[in-house]
Amino acid sequence: MDQVDVFIFDCDGVIWRGDSLIDGIPDTLEKLRAAGKRLFFVTNNSTKSRKGYKKKFDSLGLSNVPAEEIFSSSFAAAAYLEKTQFAATNKKVYVIGEVGICEELDLIGVPYLGGPADKDSVADMGPGGMLHVDESVGAVVVGFDRHVNYYKIQYAQLCINELGAEFIATNLDAVTHLTDAQEWAGNGSMVGAIKGCTGKEPTVVGKPSPLMIDYMEQKFGFDRSRICMVGDRLDTDVLFGKDNGLKSLLVLSGVTSEEKLLSPDNKIKPDYYAETINDFFSPVPAESKA
Amino acid sequence: MRFSRIITATLSVASSRAFTIPRNSFSSSTRLFQSVPKLTDPSFLMDQVDVFIFDCDGVIWRGDSLIDGIPDTLEKLRAAGKRLFFVTNNSTKSRKGYKKKFDSLGLSNVPAEEIFSSSFAAAAYLEKTQFAATNKKVYVIGEMGICEELDLIGVPYLGGPADKDSVADMGPGGMLHVDESVGAVVVGFDRHINYYKIQYAQLCINELGAEFIATNLDAVTHLTDAQEWAGNGSMVGAIKGCTGQEPTVVGKPSPLMIDYMEQKFGFDRSRICMVGDRLDTDVLFGKDNGLKSLLVLSGVTSEEKLLSPENKIKPDFYAETINDFFSQVPAESKT
Repeated sequence: MDQVDVFIFDCDGVIWRGDSLIDGIPDTLEKLRAAGKRLFFVTNNSTKSRKGYKKKFDSLGLSNVPAEEIFSSSFAAAAYLEKTQFAATNKKVYVIGEVGICEELDLIGVPYLGGPADKDSVADMGPGGMLHVDESVGAVVVGFDRHVNYYKIQYAQLCINELGAEFIATNLDAVTHLTDAQEWAGNGSMVGAIKGCTGKEPTVVGKPSPLMIDYMEQKFGFDRSRICMVGDRLDTDVLFGKDNGLKSLLVLSGVTSEEKLLSPDNKIKPDYYAETINDFFSPVPAESKA
Repeated sequence: MRFSRIITATLSVASSRAFTIPRNSFSSSTRLFQSVPKLTDPSFLMDQVDVFIFDCDGVIWRGDSLIDGIPDTLEKLRAAGKRLFFVTNNSTKSRKGYKKKFDSLGLSNVPAEEIFSSSFAAAAYLEKTQFAATNKKVYVIGEMGICEELDLIGVPYLGGPADKDSVADMGPGGMLHVDESVGAVVVGFDRHINYYKIQYAQLCINELGAEFIATNLDAVTHLTDAQEWAGNGSMVGAIKGCTGQEPTVVGKPSPLMIDYMEQKFGFDRSRICMVGDRLDTDVLFGKDNGLKSLLVLSGVTSEEKLLSPENKIKPDFYAETINDFFSQVPAESKT
């Protein structure tokens, strides 16, 4: 509490699991606000926009989280296009992804094609068949897409290989908790598909890329050493913190076990770890056992 | 004629190692970095090679159109006593399925046993590793060709075309239930790739420890001759992206098909010539496996790309098409 003014929370595995709020979270967030701390929420999930995530927070009883505190990777993609002044090129974006990316592009006035509109599209693969792309596509944004299909993959391939469109990925998470019952293939698959037909590496805008931190720093002017990143994944959340000069704390309420964290094979070491963020306010004996 | 024989004799000694050629054997218009000889006197090729392995797309056909002159050339090769094989990284058809394509293009004397599709390669790999003895199943991302080849070797499978419209239960508490007896995932080109298949494969590999096998990694392919189409590199890329694992690749340039042919037919590798239109699959397949290699310009690779200083993959020879094996060319070639 003494060392940190700003907390950045990953959402899944820290605040909720799938669609279920983790017990005690609303109280803990209230106490942090009462102690004068700024709170932000960063998620690599691109399927919703910031506004879409606010609805999820509301539905879980966390109604005092404004959309401006939420940084989804869909927002990150739009922020990146603003930073690189994409709108001035008068080009379009081809989207592999869901409604979140499309909503964020609408907010910054960038025209796009694809996304949910191509969920049932099929290319003409008969003799002499072709997929016709819009030649004004200047960037392809790839986010998690439960309706990924060959049409979208081919469209993106042509835009990147033949039109020279920029290849942008919201995140690379291999697996994600679509539901809390299972691990589900994440955006690593959609991005992997496009890497596999273009041979190119994308610009990644979500964790652990520094983009969101640079954005927050520019907008809010924080001292990085007084920001603590709190998450449940070592390779996205904790790395995001460490790579960007923040403090980092791993919670065990998500995908990473204490065993995995403390194992000698683990090279990504947060500054601290805790069971859940509720531990920020629980009395603990002066000597803690590890 | 005698002069050209001396040159070609020099070339045939040099071809297995170095690629430099005596400068005075070419006209003065030769490009300075000419390090891949054009096939100017095919008769030495005929002397040095007993077995030709042809890639199909860009060599025999383009999409669904036969390249002119091919049937004659293949006949002449057979008449000269050469053994012919056809290797394609396309897994969508089985060997039998490819035979039908050969028939429909007028090449009806190509038996299925001369055709090595990457679908067949996947089955050959599973036979080699005695997969059937594990009593496990295969989950297929791919089309009918892989399924037909698995039927032929008696390995049970799930997925493939049967899952083209499958959707997982992604509601609250939803799960995709996999068959726990899946011991391998085979990923081949699949125009009906979808999230269900990706998730099924992810669970099998990450949670059941199933082996990850890929028919090939081609980034693009000529589904139709009008455009370049995303290839199996995408399907495999999707599964790499959610598992972090590298697959065992059974198609070109992996040695599997050559090892198989060597074991079955007992050929001398130095007397086999691989003929293809792609440097990173066909020519590499030849070079990595001790074969001679010849690139044809009738497919995806241009002369400029082949001879560019950036290109590190150098075949022993190149030609316009395989018809050049029997064409009369002047002793001194211009490039």
